[in-house]
Amino acid sequence: MKKIPVTVLTGFLGSGKTTLLNRNLSENHGKRIAVIENEFGEIGIDQALVINADEEVFEMNNGCICCTVRGDLIRILGNLMKRKDKFDHILVETTGMADPGPVAQTFFVDDDLRELFSLDGIVTLVDAKHVHLHLDDSSECKEQIAFADVLVLNKTDLVSGHELEQLERRVTSMNSMAKVLRAQNASVPIAALLDIGGFDLDRAMAAKPTFLEPEYPFEWAGTFEIEKGVYELVLEDGPDPTMDLVASFLDSDEHAGSRGDADHAARIWSEVARSALPGERIEIGAAEPVRLKLDSAGAKRFELRAPRRGRIGLYTQHLPSEFQLQVLDSGVAVRPSSEQTFAAGHSHDDQVTSVGIHLEGEIDGDRLSQWVSQLLRDKGTDIFRMKGILNIKGSRSRFVFQGVHMLFDGREDRPWGIEPRASDLVFIGRKLDRDELTRGFERCLA
Amino acid sequence: MGDYVSALEVAPDGGVCIAGLGDGQVVGFDLSTGEEGFTIAAAHAGSVLGVSISPDGRYFATCGQDEVAKVWSAEGALVRELRGGGSAWVEHVAWAPAGGRIATAAGKKLCVWMPDGERIVETEPLASTVTALAWRSDGSGLAATCYGGVHILPFVAGAKMRHLAWKGSLISLAWSPDAKVIACGNQDSSVHFWRLKSGQDSQMSGYRFKPKALAWDSESKLLATSGDADVTVWDFRGKGPEGTQPLQLEGHKSLCTRLAFSPRRAVLASGSQDRSVLLWEPRKHGKPIGFAVLEDEVTGLCWHPEHHTLVGADASGTICSWEVA
Repeated sequence: MKKIPVTVLTGFLGSGKTTLLNRNLSENHGKRIAVIENEFGEIGIDQALVINADEEVFEMNNGCICCTVRGDLIRILGNLMKRKDKFDHILVETTGMADPGPVAQTFFVDDDLRELFSLDGIVTLVDAKHVHLHLDDSSECKEQIAFADVLVLNKTDLVSGHELEQLERRVTSMNSMAKVLRAQNASVPIAALLDIGGFDLDRAMAAKPTFLEPEYPFEWAGTFEIEKGVYELVLEDGPDPTMDLVASFLDSDEHAGSRGDADHAARIWSEVARSALPGERIEIGAAEPVRLKLDSAGAKRFELRAPRRGRIGLYTQHLPSEFQLQVLDSGVAVRPSSEQTFAAGHSHDDQVTSVGIHLEGEIDGDRLSQWVSQLLRDKGTDIFRMKGILNIKGSRSRFVFQGVHMLFDGREDRPWGIEPRASDLVFIGRKLDRDELTRGFERCLA
Repeated sequence: MGDYVSALEVAPDGGVCIAGLGDGQVVGFDLSTGEEGFTIAAAHAGSVLGVSISPDGRYFATCGQDEVAKVWSAEGALVRELRGGGSAWVEHVAWAPAGGRIATAAGKKLCVWMPDGERIVETEPLASTVTALAWRSDGSGLAATCYGGVHILPFVAGAKMRHLAWKGSLISLAWSPDAKVIACGNQDSSVHFWRLKSGQDSQMSGYRFKPKALAWDSESKLLATSGDADVTVWDFRGKGPEGTQPLQLEGHKSLCTRLAFSPRRAVLASGSQDRSVLLWEPRKHGKPIGFAVLEDEVTGLCWHPEHHTLVGADASGTICSWEVA
């Protein structure tokens, strides 16, 4: 018998869960959907069966592992399966303050639910306008983002493009595995909610996690080909009174965003910045950053001097688009030959992060299982989710696994074939020590 | 019947057998002829969740996914509705073996009713949703399980409500016929029981799955428990069952779902996910003494009070009665 997929919908109060449900369930989706709702009386839809439940979270022992589960789901879903009108899909809406951990664990720990249902994915709605009110101090808010397979940034019409980009970068740095969707009025296609495969081992890592570059103090890097001489740097009014900038010659044929050059720029960045007022000169290749003073109104023009011909990188503290920054050569705009944006390392300090580790070389199965069981024993409550594809010594096939807190599920997958053999492991959690995890994983090499 | 049999009961006088179905139907059979006596097409919206027959066999009560319990005549005519207020499913209904009371559980609340519809008890919300109900064999007490233990409501003057605390989610309940022991299945795959006089409790672990089915023999000596394909039977004679090895009845190929001891003899019927129904005499041997096969997972097993007939039901709506020697 095919298992019935379950989608869990989380998000703070006001993030748009109800709107999303109303919208999607009223559509003609042709599926029989049951909704288990935890905030009262908000939806009443003909196309779906809506059941109210009180979240009943309790701790249970599962062998040597202790975890929390949702007792109400066990009972309600068990009873739903006795009905003639069987369902194609179940949606579980959590309360705004809920930790998604217990819901997810319920589907792995309870005998009946494990047999009848499969957890398809966790969808978290984020109120783009107001999430920053909670993101810094609410552990539930962070957990909801960290657990998600799909993150819907809702109410995008209420924030600027820049704010939205900042938010997207921030949530991606917390959870690199989630697919991020942008929405107004909670409008997302129902397909995005109903076939996620977030816990499906066949699809583990099907989409590569979006790991960000190492964090740099600048948000943008542009590569320019320039002749010796004087250019003009023009900025219009923007959101900040100053902006730091590094202009340096690139060592190689690489572009400004490449690792070596960006690292080089970051070293310059750490020097004390020299201030520059509009009209003043910026020397390309200077040993320190320049702090552009931008408090005057209207266009601000700086002289950008190139002592020689070459390939240069401009590194800016904020995005050029915020100031309509341009490099002009005799009044004609010079386009960067390439550009790259970076996660803004200076803007936040989140305890919840994603750590991805890539290892060449074969893994020793015994050492790996020792390491993982030790890790889960010590850090299981702080590791929300993990996924991986492993290159195990002595096996012709990929080993795929995924876990929620201390619950762990893995098996052999298809043969490697011509695919290059390597291991990829992703953790999402609280207070993760990237170096320690990397070292631990490296010790598992055969 | 064509749909999941979610509740099955045989009247204490053996006259009728009543089944509640997953599509909201309730069907009554005459056990002596096997004929269908009546069908109530939409007794409940959604699934029927519970059926309980009055001791005199003249009435029965049902509950379901529509926030109401209903009392019917033995012929299937609606007598009255028992509305507890609140919007939770009424998941359990139990007619007391004596004293005429009817207990219902909806969400975290317990209610007790008189047959004329008067509500004589409505509890405060318990720690979590009530997972099982059982009356004391003389009708003088009602036990209910939920997370955190067993609540016992007394129906004798001056007695107080009692709470048998256990830090765990109890999911099934069986009160021994001699009223001395309450046994419960636990979500964390164990069986817990209390000796009521001393308050002493014990935990039996080692089950692979949560024990949803429990059954006492008529002498209150054997407790049969599910929790795997094998049926585990604890013997309460002597100093047991603590420190003893239980009897393991091996026969089913997958999880045991239903257990019922004959009211007359220590004969046990067990049903399984693998569709099989097996008969055992646990005191004599660990091998089945009879078997039958239904068409789907066994969801109901009930004995005739005179032992001669066993009724079984399954998840695709088959209801079968067998003569038993």
